[in-house]
Amino acid sequence: SKHPDPFHTLREVEILDAKIREKLCFLDKVEPHATIAEIKNLFTKTHPQWYPARQSLRLDPKGKSLKDEDVLQKLPVGTTATLYFRDLGAQISWVTVFLTEYAGPLFIYLLFYFRVPFIYGHKYDFTSSRHTVVHLACICHSFHYVKRLLETLFVHRFSHGTMPLRNIFKNCTYYWGFAAWMAYYINHPLYTPPTYGAQQVKLALAIFVICQLGNFSIHMALRDLRPAGSKTRKIPYPTKNPFTWLFLLVSCPNYTYEVGSWIGFAIMTQCLPVALFSLVGFTQMTIWAKGKHRSYLKEFRDYPPLRMPIIPFLL
Amino acid sequence: MGIVPSSVVLTSFQVMSRVFLIWAVTHSVKEVQSEDSVLLFVIAWTITEIIRYSFYTFSLLNHLPYLIKWARYTLFIVLYPMGVSGELLTIYAALPFVRQAGLYSISLPNKYNFSFDYHAFLILIMISYIPIFPQLYFHMIHQRRKILSHTEEHKKFE
Repeated sequence: SKHPDPFHTLREVEILDAKIREKLCFLDKVEPHATIAEIKNLFTKTHPQWYPARQSLRLDPKGKSLKDEDVLQKLPVGTTATLYFRDLGAQISWVTVFLTEYAGPLFIYLLFYFRVPFIYGHKYDFTSSRHTVVHLACICHSFHYVKRLLETLFVHRFSHGTMPLRNIFKNCTYYWGFAAWMAYYINHPLYTPPTYGAQQVKLALAIFVICQLGNFSIHMALRDLRPAGSKTRKIPYPTKNPFTWLFLLVSCPNYTYEVGSWIGFAIMTQCLPVALFSLVGFTQMTIWAKGKHRSYLKEFRDYPPLRMPIIPFLL
Repeated sequence: MGIVPSSVVLTSFQVMSRVFLIWAVTHSVKEVQSEDSVLLFVIAWTITEIIRYSFYTFSLLNHLPYLIKWARYTLFIVLYPMGVSGELLTIYAALPFVRQAGLYSISLPNKYNFSFDYHAFLILIMISYIPIFPQLYFHMIHQRRKILSHTEEHKKFE
């Protein structure tokens, strides 16, 4: 028979509601090397309406959520662990949200491009614009969202599986709303092509294509940083691909390239709503980039000091 | 800035909506300035602000008469709907003049491929009162219950 080993005694876990401190669940005979993910699964058995994705378990009612990978015996708890539970609300997978929010603009823009009835006057139904730039814009916009959909399916590695359900309504309103607003003007029978003509369109197209390639290169580089199924975080560095050299100057070059793409699109179409969409997107991405930059600085002592969050040397 | 404990978001929203009513509606559409609805919201806002700033001042001086606290959390019940009615009626009165003059509106075609219909925008603003007003109103009612009953409890222990 085995020696009685204190580190292998079975543990007890009690789960209390973080707000009202009511005892929700008591688990006994829990393996000390059980992970939080396994405990969440056990909790779901007694409360099936709270599936693991919507559980937030913490050591302190007001503290940070424990991670799924955390192991019970490594936590600062005794043989009976007290965990506090908060309901995160209905959850939806990131993949579902991304696919929905990107498929919308792809489809909606085309409705305007083909001048489907009831958008413009009836005499314009199913007519085609006589401006080359309008056709080019449709190709660029569609390419952009097809790229995003494919990246969601095949490239991105998400560290969180889910997000709150209400986000899908908020996000889709934003993406679909702006797509409709931009598409309305670009495909309008009274659309005015850019002031500087073909020169302006060519320059803008070049900016757009370069930034799309850049953005894709960064997504691939980030994917390669993290092996499948792992949640490890590492500092991203430039690779042989010149588009990734922007990592020397910014923490989130994917956002830098994304803003660049939309600026290109705005110049190409010379459409104010596109410029406004770029501005709003830039604001949001700057907030995200600053957050990411701060996490990097906190986590890695040797983080390259030259890097800024999103705009080299400036922001 | 932390001087008074109000939410920055809620307060900015209120300031913005007030500036909008004064500048973008009442000042911009001269024909509306003689309407009774303007008097209605100006009176509502004036009384509200006199009470509110007295409340803040006395609070900061740590000498808040119960009457002021009561007034702040009770008179809104009448003043708020009064103000909202004045605002909505004013915007509504401005509509025909906005449409006639094409005020603040731009139509296609133009160099920046943009259009804006101020008339439609004002109608959207009016519609937005429907979800927003009840939320703010019931928030104040909730605050009232919390703050005025709290004082009662304190009084009991004195």
